[in-house]
Amino acid sequence: MTQRRSAGASRRRSLARLTGRTPVERVVIAVAVVIALLWSLAPIYWMLITSFKTELEATQLDPTLWPRHFTPENYAKLVGQTLPFMSFLLNSVITAFGTALITIAFSIFSGYSLSRGAYRLRGLMGYLILIVRMLPLVVLIAPLYLLLLRVRLLNTYVGLIIGYTSFALPFGAWMMKNFIDGVPKEIEEAALVDGYTRTQILLRVVLPLVMPGIFTTAAFVFIDSWNNLLYPLTFMNTMSKQTLPAGLLLSFTGQFKTDWGGMMAASTVTTIPLMVAFFAIQRSMVTGLTAGALAGE
Amino acid sequence: MKVRKTTAGSGITAKLLVLAGIMAMLCGATVFASGSGEQGTVAAAATVSFANWADAEQATRPGIQATISKFEAANPNITVKSEAISFSDIGHTLVLRVKSGNPPDVAEIAGNDTFDVAATGGLEPLESYVTPDLKSSINPADLEVAKYQGQLIAFPWTDSPNALWYNKDIMKKAGLDPNKPPATVDELMTDLAAIHSSQPDVIPLGLDTTNRTFGLAVNWPWMVTFGAKPFSGTTATADTAGMKAYLSWMRELAQKGYILTGKKIGEFRPLAAQGKVAFIWDQNVLQGVIQSVNHMTDSQFYATWGVAPQPKGPAGTSNVVALGHQLIMFKNSSVKQAGWELIKYLATSPDAIVDYTFKYESSLPPLAHATGEVAKLLSTPVNKAFVDQILPTMIIPPYGSTYAQAYSPIMAGVQQAITGNTPIDQIAASIQSNLSSALGG
Amino acid sequence: MVDLRKTGHRRYFVKPGHGWSIWMMIPTVAVLVIVIGYPVVRTFLLSRLKYNFISSAPARVVGAENYLHLANDPIFWQALLNTAVYTLGSVAIAMIIGAALSLLTEGFIGRLRVVKALMLTPWAVPFIVVAFLFRYMFEERSGIVNELLLRAGLIHEHIPWLNSAMRAMPSVMLANIWTQTPFFFLIFAAAVAGIPQEVVESARMDRAKGWTMIWHIKAPFMRGAALVGGLLMVISNFNDFAKIWAMTEGGPGYATTTLVVYVYRMAFTSYDFGYSATIGVVWLVFLVVFASVYIRAMQGAPR
Repeated sequence: MTQRRSAGASRRRSLARLTGRTPVERVVIAVAVVIALLWSLAPIYWMLITSFKTELEATQLDPTLWPRHFTPENYAKLVGQTLPFMSFLLNSVITAFGTALITIAFSIFSGYSLSRGAYRLRGLMGYLILIVRMLPLVVLIAPLYLLLLRVRLLNTYVGLIIGYTSFALPFGAWMMKNFIDGVPKEIEEAALVDGYTRTQILLRVVLPLVMPGIFTTAAFVFIDSWNNLLYPLTFMNTMSKQTLPAGLLLSFTGQFKTDWGGMMAASTVTTIPLMVAFFAIQRSMVTGLTAGALAGE
Repeated sequence: MKVRKTTAGSGITAKLLVLAGIMAMLCGATVFASGSGEQGTVAAAATVSFANWADAEQATRPGIQATISKFEAANPNITVKSEAISFSDIGHTLVLRVKSGNPPDVAEIAGNDTFDVAATGGLEPLESYVTPDLKSSINPADLEVAKYQGQLIAFPWTDSPNALWYNKDIMKKAGLDPNKPPATVDELMTDLAAIHSSQPDVIPLGLDTTNRTFGLAVNWPWMVTFGAKPFSGTTATADTAGMKAYLSWMRELAQKGYILTGKKIGEFRPLAAQGKVAFIWDQNVLQGVIQSVNHMTDSQFYATWGVAPQPKGPAGTSNVVALGHQLIMFKNSSVKQAGWELIKYLATSPDAIVDYTFKYESSLPPLAHATGEVAKLLSTPVNKAFVDQILPTMIIPPYGSTYAQAYSPIMAGVQQAITGNTPIDQIAASIQSNLSSALGG
Repeated sequence: MVDLRKTGHRRYFVKPGHGWSIWMMIPTVAVLVIVIGYPVVRTFLLSRLKYNFISSAPARVVGAENYLHLANDPIFWQALLNTAVYTLGSVAIAMIIGAALSLLTEGFIGRLRVVKALMLTPWAVPFIVVAFLFRYMFEERSGIVNELLLRAGLIHEHIPWLNSAMRAMPSVMLANIWTQTPFFFLIFAAAVAGIPQEVVESARMDRAKGWTMIWHIKAPFMRGAALVGGLLMVISNFNDFAKIWAMTEGGPGYATTTLVVYVYRMAFTSYDFGYSATIGVVWLVFLVVFASVYIRAMQGAPR
C-alpha cells in the first residue's frame, strides 16, 4: 500500500511538501495539530490527575486543575478492599486471552478454507460471515443466556468465552481470509505438486507468511473481548467472576458512587493493558483493516 | 522443507488432528466448567454467604465487617462470607441468581426488591423460625410489610424512613429561622428561593430523581401531596390534574436551579457533609454518612442538622415512605439454621443494634419496646423527631409485581419534565400511555 | 484435477480434492451454529410469546400481538431515531475530522511521527473508561467542562449536560466522536500516504492548489478507505452498548435510548424476553435486507 521508495527520497519529498507550504499554511497546520493534540490528550490527563486526588477533592463543587494534595491512596485502595478489583483484572485477562487463542486456532483453518477452498457454498459463507458481523449481539443475549443456564455454564470462564466467540470467530475468519488472500498461490501450488497435504501447506507454508496478520487478529479479538460489557454483565452474576468493564460499572453504583478519585484510578489500571495491546499492533492495524477493502468482500 | 510423499491429498493424519483438537477442547471445557462451579459446604462448620450492600458502601463497610466478626466470635461454628453488591443492582442480581440456581444463603434487601425476589418463589418462609417470644418483641407493622401472599418471607432489620433534613447554618445565613423548617410546599419554595439567592454555590434541595424503583419510592409522598396517584394495581391513572401539578412543581424546581437533576441520593450525601446542601429529602442513614465523611461529633451534628416531616402540598398530606432494610433467606440454602442465627443477630441482638444499626446506619431497630442502651439512643434529637413526628406519617408505596413494571414509565416521565421543555400535558399523557401498555395484559 | 471448463456443466458441491476445505470450516461453523444459529432461531420463537423471565406466570403464545405492540410503541420509534442520529452523526463527524487531520499531518515524518501516534491514544482507551471519564467531565457541579466554560466566560451558570433532554445526546456523541476519530485518522493517513507521488506532482505542475488539490486529486484515493471504515464504524456504533449505558443508561427519560439500550432494558431490567425478541426479529430482518443490498452493490461496482 505504501509505495516502496528509498527512505531518504521519501523524507526529502515529504519535507519538501512541508517546507513548500507558505508560512500561513504552516501556522494553520501547527495550530490545528496543537488543538487536535489537546483534544486527544486532555481527557486522559484529567483521568490521571483525578486518580491522584482525595475523594473529597475529586467530588468538590469547584474542580481544581492540579491536586491540592497528591495522594496514591486510590491505587492502594484498589488492591486492599472488599471490591475484588484484582479479580476483575484477572478475569478480563483470562477471558480475553482465551478468546484470542481459540479464535486464532479456529480462524486459521476457516480463513484458509474461505480463501482457497472451492465449494458451492463458499459465496454463501462469505455472505453469512458478513451478516453475522453486523448482527446485533444484544438481540441474541436472552436466548444465549437461557442456553448457558441450561448447560450450567453461567458465571464461568468457559461460558463467557463461548459468548465472546459469537463475535470473535466471524471476525477472525474474515480477517484471516483477507490476510491469506494476500499470499501468492504459486508457493502453495508448488508444494501441492510436491505431495504435501493441504493442512501441511497451511501450517508450514502459509502460516509463517501471515504471522503479522495472526498477531493483528489476535490483538483485535483481545481488545474487543476486553472492551465488551454486555456479555459479562449478563452471564456473570457474582462480583468475583466479573470482568473489568462490568465490574467497574457495578462498583460505580456502590463502592465508587461518589468516589471519582477511586473510579479514575480503577479506570487507569483498566486502560493500561489495552493501551499496550493497542500500540503493539498499531502499525499492522491498517493493513489488516483495509486489506478487506482492496481485496473485496 | 522435508519432502515427504503421502497418499494423494487425503491427509488423514491432518483430519484426525483437527478432530482430536476439537475433542480436547470440549473435554477441557467440561472439566473447566465443573471445576469452576460452586463449592459445596464441608461437614462440621457452616459457611453462610451473605449478599448485602452494607459492605459495598464506604460509610457502612467498617461497621458491617465489625458486626460480622463479633457474630463469628459468638458462633465459632459459623463463618460468614460477605458478598458486596450495590444497592441499585442487588434486586435483579438476586432474581437472576435464583433463576440460575446459585443464590446466596442470606441477603439484605429493601423496598420493592423484596417482592421481586419473593415472586421467584426462591425464598424460605420464616414463620417456623420465629418463636412467639421473638414475634412479640418486633413491631407488628414491620412484620406486616414483610409478607408476600400471606407468608412471612423477610425479617425486618432496620427502619429508615426518609424525611426533610435541613441545614441550620445555611438557613441562618439566608436569613431564615433555623428552628422553623417549612411546613408547607409554598413555604419550602420561599425558603429555597432565599437560600439560592444568598448562597448560589449551595444546592438548595437534594432529591433523588433516578429511574429506579427507589426513585419512585422516595418521590411517591411528593406525588401524593399534590393529589397524584399514577397507578394502582394494573390501572394507570397518570393523566390527572394532580400528576400535572406535581410535574409542574418538579419542573419549577429544576428550572430555578433548586435541584440537580438525575442524581442518586447517595451522590448528594458527601456534598451535604461539606455543607453544600441546604435541604435534603433523605433517610436517617444520612447522619451516619455525614459523620463518617466529616467526622462531626454527635453534638456538632445536632447543632447543624435538624429533621422535619414532609411539607404539605395542595392535597394537605404529609407523608414519608417506609424504606427499611430487611433480611431474607433462600430456599436453596444448605445452612439454613446458621443463616437464621445470623438474621436474628443482626436484627435483634443489642450488640448489633447499638454498634451497627444506630452507629453506622443511623436507623431505628424494628423493636416494639426498647430498653436500656437502645432506649437511650432512641432519645437523641434526631431519633426522637423520627419516632415522634415522622414515623407516624409513614405510608407504603404500592409495592408488588406491577410496581416493577410501573416505575420506569413514571420516572422516565419525571425526568422528561425536569430536563426538557416538552409541555407538561404531553408528558402526563405519554406517561399514561406507556404505563398502561406496561401494566396492561 | 478436473477442469470444469472442459467438462461443461458438471456441478460439484465441492471441487474434487478440496474436501479439506469443508473439514477446515467445521469447527468454526459448528460453534457458530450453537452461539448464533440457535439464538437466532430461539429469538424468532420467543417473539411470539408473552414471556417474563422472573414472573411466576408461564409463557403463553400470543402470535403477532408483540409485533402490533411494537408498531404502536413510541419508545421503539424514538430508539430507532436516536440510533440513526447517534450512529450516522458520530461517524460522519469523526470521518470529517479524521480526514482533515490526516491531510494536515501528511508531511509529518521522522520525529513528528510521535504526534501522529499521540493522536491515536483516544482509541486505545477502553469504552467503559471513556464513558465514566466523560461522565465525570460533564458533571454539572464537579465536572471540568462546566468549570472551564465558566472560567472562559462562555457560560454564566452551571449547565446540566448528561441530565438535560436536549444536551444528553450531543454529549454522548461527543464522547463517541472522541474515541472514534483516531480510527478514521489512521486509515485516511494510510490512504493519503498511498497516493502516488506522480499524481500529486503532475497536479501541482498544473497549478492545482488548496481545495482543488484536496477535492479532485486526493479525495478519490480516500474514498475506498471512507467506505470500508465508515461501514465498520457504523456496524460498531449500531452495537454500541457500553458507552451509552455507563454514561446515561439511556436517559434522561428516553433521550439517549438507542435500539441496543432498549433491547437490553426490555430483556434484563424488565425481563420481558418475549418483547425484546420481537424487537430483535425486526432488527434482524432489516439487517438481512441491508446486507443483501450492500453485497449486491459491492459486487456490481467495479474496483
